[in-house]
Amino acid sequence: MSDVTTTEVLTPSTRDELVAALARATPRTRLLAGGTDLVRALRRPGAEPDLLVDLSGLDELKAVRLDGEMLHVGALTTFTQLQWDPLVREHAACLSLAAAQVGSAQIRNAGTLGGNVANASPCADGVTALTALGAEVTTVDGAGAAKTRPLGEVVLGPNRTSLRHNEAITAFAFPALGPDQRSAFSKIGSRTAVSVARLSCALAVRFDATAAALADVRIALGAVGEAAFRALEVERALEGRPADEETARLFAEGCVAAVQGSIPGRYSLPYKQHAAVGLAYDAWNMLALGAPCEPAWA
Amino acid sequence: MIQDLQYVGGSYPVHDVAQKVTGELVYGSDFSVPGMLHAKLILSTIPHGIVTRIDAASAEALPGVVKVFSHENAPMDGFSRARIHPGQDMSFYDETLFSKHVRFVGDRVAAVVATSRATAEAAAALVEVEYEELPAVLTVDQALADGAPAIHEGGNLLYEHEIEKGERPDLAGAVLVTTTASTPRVHHAALEPHVCIAQGHSTGGMTVWTTSQGVYAARTVIAELLGLEYHRVRVMKVPMGGSFGGKTEYIIEPVCAFLAHATRRPVKLLLDREECMIATMVRPATTTTIRTACTLDGELLDFEAATTLDSGGFAASTPDYSVHMCKKVTKLYRVPHYQHQGRAVYTNTPVGGAARGWGAPEMTAATEIHMDRVAAALRLDPVEFRLKNMVEPQDTDLVTGLPLGEARVRECLERGAVAFDWVARRARPAGRGRIRRGVGVAAGAHKNGMFGAFPEASRMGLKMNEDGTFELHASLHEVGCGIVTTMKVIVGEVLGLHPDLIAAGEADTATTPFDYGTYGSRVTYVVGECARVVAERVKERLLAAASDLLQEPVERLVVRDGAVRVRADGERSIAYRDIARLTEMRAVPNIAASTTYYAVSNPAAYSVQFAEVEVDTATGLTAVTDFLAVADVGRAINRGMVEAQYQGGVQMGIGYALYEHLDVDGRGRAGIDGFKNYHIANAPEMPPVRVELIEAGEELGPFGAKSVGEIATVPTAGAVVNAVNNALGTELSDLPLTPEKILAALHREEVPCSSC
Amino acid sequence: MQLVLTVNGMTHEVEARPTARLLDVLRDQLGLTGTKEGCAEGECGACTVIVGGKAVNSCVMLAVQARGKEILTVEGLAKEGELDLLQQKFVEYGAVQCGYCTPGMLMSAKALLMGNAVPSEQDIRIALAGNLCRCTGYSAIVAAVKAASGREAAPLMELPGDAEELAAEVTTDPDTLAAACEVVEAETEDAPAGLCEPGALPGLVDPYDQSQSGIPGETEGGE
Repeated sequence: MSDVTTTEVLTPSTRDELVAALARATPRTRLLAGGTDLVRALRRPGAEPDLLVDLSGLDELKAVRLDGEMLHVGALTTFTQLQWDPLVREHAACLSLAAAQVGSAQIRNAGTLGGNVANASPCADGVTALTALGAEVTTVDGAGAAKTRPLGEVVLGPNRTSLRHNEAITAFAFPALGPDQRSAFSKIGSRTAVSVARLSCALAVRFDATAAALADVRIALGAVGEAAFRALEVERALEGRPADEETARLFAEGCVAAVQGSIPGRYSLPYKQHAAVGLAYDAWNMLALGAPCEPAWA
Repeated sequence: MIQDLQYVGGSYPVHDVAQKVTGELVYGSDFSVPGMLHAKLILSTIPHGIVTRIDAASAEALPGVVKVFSHENAPMDGFSRARIHPGQDMSFYDETLFSKHVRFVGDRVAAVVATSRATAEAAAALVEVEYEELPAVLTVDQALADGAPAIHEGGNLLYEHEIEKGERPDLAGAVLVTTTASTPRVHHAALEPHVCIAQGHSTGGMTVWTTSQGVYAARTVIAELLGLEYHRVRVMKVPMGGSFGGKTEYIIEPVCAFLAHATRRPVKLLLDREECMIATMVRPATTTTIRTACTLDGELLDFEAATTLDSGGFAASTPDYSVHMCKKVTKLYRVPHYQHQGRAVYTNTPVGGAARGWGAPEMTAATEIHMDRVAAALRLDPVEFRLKNMVEPQDTDLVTGLPLGEARVRECLERGAVAFDWVARRARPAGRGRIRRGVGVAAGAHKNGMFGAFPEASRMGLKMNEDGTFELHASLHEVGCGIVTTMKVIVGEVLGLHPDLIAAGEADTATTPFDYGTYGSRVTYVVGECARVVAERVKERLLAAASDLLQEPVERLVVRDGAVRVRADGERSIAYRDIARLTEMRAVPNIAASTTYYAVSNPAAYSVQFAEVEVDTATGLTAVTDFLAVADVGRAINRGMVEAQYQGGVQMGIGYALYEHLDVDGRGRAGIDGFKNYHIANAPEMPPVRVELIEAGEELGPFGAKSVGEIATVPTAGAVVNAVNNALGTELSDLPLTPEKILAALHREEVPCSSC
Repeated sequence: MQLVLTVNGMTHEVEARPTARLLDVLRDQLGLTGTKEGCAEGECGACTVIVGGKAVNSCVMLAVQARGKEILTVEGLAKEGELDLLQQKFVEYGAVQCGYCTPGMLMSAKALLMGNAVPSEQDIRIALAGNLCRCTGYSAIVAAVKAASGREAAPLMELPGDAEELAAEVTTDPDTLAAACEVVEAETEDAPAGLCEPGALPGLVDPYDQSQSGIPGETEGGE
């Protein structure tokens, strides 16, 4: 057959084997997690890798565990896992909700959080949720060196990461949300289900019942701009406020402003700045801090 | 029901359902023959230009590559992908196997033939193509502007036509309303990609296996292009995974046949999804302006329409498509004067052509949006207003001059309004909250075959086997809508025999008699009637044989349950199997007949559809929450399949109304990533769809049946758009009603356009 | 490279390119063409198979990823010619038109029912959200899945009977047949001798004569 290829496949099943595989990596090497992004990319002519590191044997990267205050999510957890895992649902609801809305059941069954981040689509729902959670990314390289850094230092822009060719994400970690904290995830696509996000929002708050005030507000917006980002001004605006309709309105207004600032002059801005209102109210209502709110109409 | 029918009206699965659920059925894309080569197309990456250089050296050097073909080494005779008969009027021979003058992104430049699909794909990437770019015209307006580059000789105005019927009455005091609506370029989205397999024989003949909707016409194009006599070209229909018109025209068959002929080997040409979207055909984009005049009471006095159709880079069938758009309105509404101007225009975009409904969804969306606008101007309820103007049974179509037959559209509207609780739902306020609710209605009509516009006939043979089972020889083209089953049920009804004891295969130019194919809503009405007639002929012979064998006059005999029986004498009967064996003793098996059936009528089939929507005014997303389709079908041959087709037609229409559009950017590229951003309605999007049938018969249809497959999707988009406008108080008429357009309308802004 | 894959309970050794998709190996090398390619990008679901108990798009999964796991394709649903309940319901509920999406739909539905025996309508629609269909509008498919999980509505279709059984049911009364036979014999100069004898024609037997062997020509016993 004419299409002989020299792609070598390595299937490490331990961390040491992974390191050994990464040691052999070149810029033409590809790491295979779920495959839902990579396998498409491999079909382009000339995309044959020299080495394919199949990560599917690394069971230790598929675990979710709570370690004191921190939730550790393995890089190879699938979206289906994240959707249903009890620890994720309890301590990182926005990640569970984001996972539930990624693609179809088939994609969720195979797609992984690590793959989602490494692919770094600006619309990546996992990235939006992790951004709100303040996640850090742990990687390992071919020299065996482990590095941990904030997500924002890994995902740099559309389909651009700081990951080197011999570097693999192994885990994500973030402070687990406690019982007085809530989080939500909303997304606007082109249809209700199975749609890439045109806008996404992950929202996490601490609600102090006695003070009746919001604290530790974190808002991440995705699918606008170069990569998901924290809307810091909006967070500050909400800090200390009660969980009421006025706050919901400020939240929505803030999201609109943040969207406007992120994609100035883009043809999709007129739509997205309006739709951001819906996005914000959906996320807000999901927190269920009070009765559902609706945007006011002029 | 007047007749007591045994099989007609039952609900039968498609004839090959068992093979489909087990995965056994070999579709065109699964098909292979020994020694088969694989072809990969190389498509133009620019919208308009001349190919100045093709360097296939590196590609051909790849092991396993047989050859690269292009305009440099392929016949450059023009052909029409839409021509059915040799010498047919209105065939534009403006397409060649490969283009030197490329006219859209997706135009065929070359093809690689190799020993494997992967090799062909790798080689295709190595073929270097250079172009001299020409200015491109990507919209109809650009194409018609002064000084626009001519895409074909003769300029960009491909076709123009005008009709005027009736007399314009005095319009003094009439209410005049004008609207303009536009419908997008759409991908048919059959789940199976386009595929063709052809085998060139060393004796010079050709065998072609294709998923085409019409094998005989495919043969004329292939045979003439390759200079082969027709009898040496055999074209066979193989199982296909849907078509919806997208496989009616002969796009890849000529190319594949040429490659097979040139290499004297079997060649399979299988397109990928993106190629299907841009390099085959699309439902053409249209713009329609309608001006009507009505009395204050709501009686239509005058209807004038002007439609412009975007043909894309080749003519294909769009001139005919354009003409047919003028035949939709007067099937539905009575009006004293109808005037229609139509134009088809070349642009440097994907080629427009046959799509389910053949101009009816396009024209009906525009018409029904217009009708709602008129109703609003007159302060009349939309249903009430339509009822004042709808045709009645036995009316004559003002434009075609043909009788509309048992036209029950009025009944569809009345019964539907009740079943949908129209009055109450319409009276319900849309609300002022984030979610606004609305309901809309639309009526549609479609033809039954091509009589009146084109020769319309079918030819079939039916014979009894030696064991009393039967075989129908007909050029059937099953596209998934159950037509093989329809024929078996019709024949079974006539012969008093369970449809499962009747075999019916698909079209093969070598062995099955001539039939045009599955399109034009001709199958149930014309092909089905041919089946009924040929079955009646065979029944006559059965009765004659039985009369002799039972020594009874024919008048005392009936066919029922697989035997000929003496009326009112339960004892005496003779099974078909025994008739077969006994008659065979004195002659070769001869309980058989063949017939050519010529259609002499073309009534209309109707559907009125009601939609309820909820629009999220914060995001612009629309959910269709309830849907009712009322169908005037004459008689359901296969009741379950009629309902099933309507449900599928509604899915298509909802997408048409709300999210399907294949636009091109400023560089003529579709910018579509397959289904990733070309969205069709998926399971969560679809509402429950109720289907109600009106079966009032139709004189010349088989058992009174009319055709179903296209009318099912004709009024859907109009109903959805009208519902959205009802919910929002808007006058949106530019399909699809994407979230962008909805929010822009609500915020009274212009919709920014990044593409055409 | 050499791959060992377990498909529908059988183990196969295949030689495949390392970057071969699971879809390609199933179709091109194992001849299991029931799994279809509709889009090659994991959007249409026509390529859905079950790997390790989960529905996945085989067009965006490499064959190497499926090593060591149980792979189930549409060909593995029926057992010894008996349709799986899900397949049966697809037939009964008219859930199949062109049939191209059907294998993928069946596998997504199968995976759903494996994990959730009584899914709600919404559960079903979400499980099938990644399986596109252009023919059916999905409602018959959803009804079929519901029926397979024990909640029957009204099945849409009348099932085909067994054609041979149908044909065998219709017989001609022996007296009538004998008389008809005589008509033919009288009209035919070269009628075979004994045309009207029981056994001369297959089927021309006295149903009450136990001694009839049914072999033409044999006239022992009976009429």
